[in-house]
Amino acid sequence: MKKGRGWLKPLALLSLTGALLVGCSSGNNASPGTTTPAPTKKPVEQVAPQATSTDDEKPIDGGTFTHSTTSDIVTLNPIFGNDTASGDVMEYTQAYLYNRNPSFDLAVYPWSLAAELPKISEDGLTYTIKMKNNAKWSDGTPITADDLIFTINAIKTPETGSPEITKYDKVKEMKKLDDYTVEIKLKQLYAPFAFGLMQKLAPAHVLKDVPFKDLQAHSYGKDPAKTPTSGPYKWTEWKQKEFHVLDANPNYWGEKKPHIQKVVYKIYADQNTQVQALMKGDVDLVDSIPVTQLEAVKAKGTINISTEPGPSYEYFAFNFDKKNFPNNYGLFEGQKTRQAIAHAINRQGIIDNILKGTGKIMDAPFLPGTWADPGDAAVHYEYSAEKAKQLLKEDGWVAGADGILAKDGNRFSFEFIFNSGNSRREQAAVVIQQNLKEIGIEAKPKALDFSALVDQYANPGKFQVLLLGWQLSDPDPDGISTFGKKAFPPGNNAGWYDNPKLDALWEKAVSTVKQEERAAIYKEVGKEISTNLPYVFMYQYGTPRGMTSRVKYKDEFKPVSMIPYGETFGFLNWWIDDTKK
Amino acid sequence: MTEYLVRRVLQAVLVLFLITVVSFGLMHAAPGGPLKVMLSPGMSPEAQLIQMKNMGLDQPVYIQYMKWVGNLLQGDLGHTFKNNVPVGDILWPTVWNTFVLMSVAWGLSMLIAIPWGIYNSTKQYGLSDQIASIVAYLGFAMPTFWFGIMLQQYFAMQLNLLPLSDMYTMGKEGQISDLILHLILPVTVLTLVNIAAYVKYTRASMLEALEQDYIRTARAKGMKERRVIFRHALRNALIPVVTIIGLDLPTLVAGAALTESVFNWPGMGRLFVEMAVAREYSVLMSITLLISLMVIIGNLLADLIYALVDPRVQLGRKGGRAA
Repeated sequence: MKKGRGWLKPLALLSLTGALLVGCSSGNNASPGTTTPAPTKKPVEQVAPQATSTDDEKPIDGGTFTHSTTSDIVTLNPIFGNDTASGDVMEYTQAYLYNRNPSFDLAVYPWSLAAELPKISEDGLTYTIKMKNNAKWSDGTPITADDLIFTINAIKTPETGSPEITKYDKVKEMKKLDDYTVEIKLKQLYAPFAFGLMQKLAPAHVLKDVPFKDLQAHSYGKDPAKTPTSGPYKWTEWKQKEFHVLDANPNYWGEKKPHIQKVVYKIYADQNTQVQALMKGDVDLVDSIPVTQLEAVKAKGTINISTEPGPSYEYFAFNFDKKNFPNNYGLFEGQKTRQAIAHAINRQGIIDNILKGTGKIMDAPFLPGTWADPGDAAVHYEYSAEKAKQLLKEDGWVAGADGILAKDGNRFSFEFIFNSGNSRREQAAVVIQQNLKEIGIEAKPKALDFSALVDQYANPGKFQVLLLGWQLSDPDPDGISTFGKKAFPPGNNAGWYDNPKLDALWEKAVSTVKQEERAAIYKEVGKEISTNLPYVFMYQYGTPRGMTSRVKYKDEFKPVSMIPYGETFGFLNWWIDDTKK
Repeated sequence: MTEYLVRRVLQAVLVLFLITVVSFGLMHAAPGGPLKVMLSPGMSPEAQLIQMKNMGLDQPVYIQYMKWVGNLLQGDLGHTFKNNVPVGDILWPTVWNTFVLMSVAWGLSMLIAIPWGIYNSTKQYGLSDQIASIVAYLGFAMPTFWFGIMLQQYFAMQLNLLPLSDMYTMGKEGQISDLILHLILPVTVLTLVNIAAYVKYTRASMLEALEQDYIRTARAKGMKERRVIFRHALRNALIPVVTIIGLDLPTLVAGAALTESVFNWPGMGRLFVEMAVAREYSVLMSITLLISLMVIIGNLLADLIYALVDPRVQLGRKGGRAA
């Protein structure tokens, strides 16, 4: 029996890792593309008492905050570390050039390295960045224009192997105007560039003599003693696969110093263990409570839970390459057919039952409530088997002898693939299969190892339907690298979706730096993409977050679910109060 | 004996070589790969190619294998792809951590199970035997992770008597008293499972031995029962038990990934699963090699112990182990 259960562990880990990988990889892919993860205007839904303080409470200095995770960092070198865990630790240790505000706009805070917002030339091609002149690395070296130029140069050079390369590949040249001012010229007008400036810097004084190809192997970012940091915490200790200790940086340059003296970033083997630790009070923050454990955590009563979805959405992507179907007969050619499938899938039912309410229906690849959200301009497909049947009939599908629809001698039967071990997707797949069966479509779910799925199916565009998700870690709503013709496989447009009208709209939207003009274009994009429907946009989702009530903050510094790393937004202003547990 | 040992060592080298060839081949034949797991497919093919070169993944598999073996022979286990950390830096602490956990559980299991099994064989169907059966059923039937969680719920969450997880409390690394507290729950889980097996084997083996003619002869000669059991029956009865325990030796290093996960024990089982997902070939190969080595050593030790406990087994003679 003991041995027989051996598969459970890998399965659980794969589930988690699969989810993370989908998140991470898609986030990276989507970086220059996909959508805007801007925040909703709604307050964070709290299902337990608020962690916030009352106005008369004064912050207390000291204490330890424990942030838990299920994976260790890769590196704290901002040129390479783009996985979730590295990003988490860097939120405490590395300052951003520009920060995001809760509305997901570029912002300058007392803890940002920039002194003011970038000045963009009339033609949108030149960005002038002014940095603060008092910022220092934790080893006392000033943070200057050299650090910024070095960081962007390293990332944009292919030999470096930075996964962030697409953020800066449009940079033509950089000029140091003085020690704290840099002018960046672009090869072409590209509005999303501004968001690429939400960048953490690497120290030129440590790395400038290292050849780019050797940067990844360098100890900066992997050895706490050799990693000067730019943020409010320094990296004191790393016990691989166990924990990181971050202490308040005594040389921190910001006017606003952290109240919390120590942060422990603790690594757990799986989510269940992590949640147990939260309930026992061993950790203060868990940002991925499985929905199945939500009730138990709520019952504890001392943990504040937020179920607001994050910047991720799930999709059901059709493949338009006929070679993937028997007889070269593309099943999803008809727009009405695709629309019928959208009507047939009970998205709200999946949200209510599988996601336990922690999701929101999406009709277009823009997160609800963000500036690029097209709102009602996007077509909404309510759950209706009748409408679906009607549309299929109009598109020429007729029930065959076995009850499955057929057209031109081809049965409406296809396989849809997703990554194994992701329980949310596994359960949703069963509902989708059932929903489509009700309208005479045979949909066969097939779970595959994530790596194999990406390598053998998604990247080469060889599948019939793909059930997967995007994490929108980039704040810009540009989606050409996901839906455009130039992103055909091995690009992100895995389903070979070709829509010249949409391509033109995407291009137009990044050719202006004026947000209102862009918003208007994204409205048109929303209408076109939700009508033509390369994907059934399923739902925005997230994992519930739990925080112990010993952590205090004023309302203005509360966690923000909709932005990446938003769970520690305003952390510098938080404090620990053990007297009122 | 020396000849036997030399032969076995040579066999072991050959087996290890074959295992590494097969493992390396299988890992590389599997779809995906470290680059696919790490990088965004949105990266340009040129940039991906550069990255593959940096990782040495652009070369044919046999060249990669030969390089790996070459490095291994010089004591270099390689580096991780993700962040270029020496494999040894990650691996050795987890091997030690697992060894601590498993050896305590293993030792404790033997200390309890063998005397218990012997006792039960002399008092068949008595109360102790019945209890052993229940323990065995529980041990075999209960999923270890579930049992672990139950222990955590009661002793760590409700009673707050023991730590929930980890090997040490933060800031108390290296303190034996803290380690012991952290060992109690995972060792209980692992020991229960081991006891279940060892008690049953010892009892069955003893019963079989006690039915042999020489035992009857010994009893007929009027030998005291204690002497019959410990002097005559036990030596023979221990042989199959030693085999089972010897074959369990690799688990000392391999660990029980599930138990390690539930208790967040920073051991090798946990590491293996994590590295498999990340396709970190160097770490996976090192762990595979280590476990294979332990299996071979476990087998060899079991054979050697045979010779010690049973004089009829003569190693190195042609004709094998026949009496």
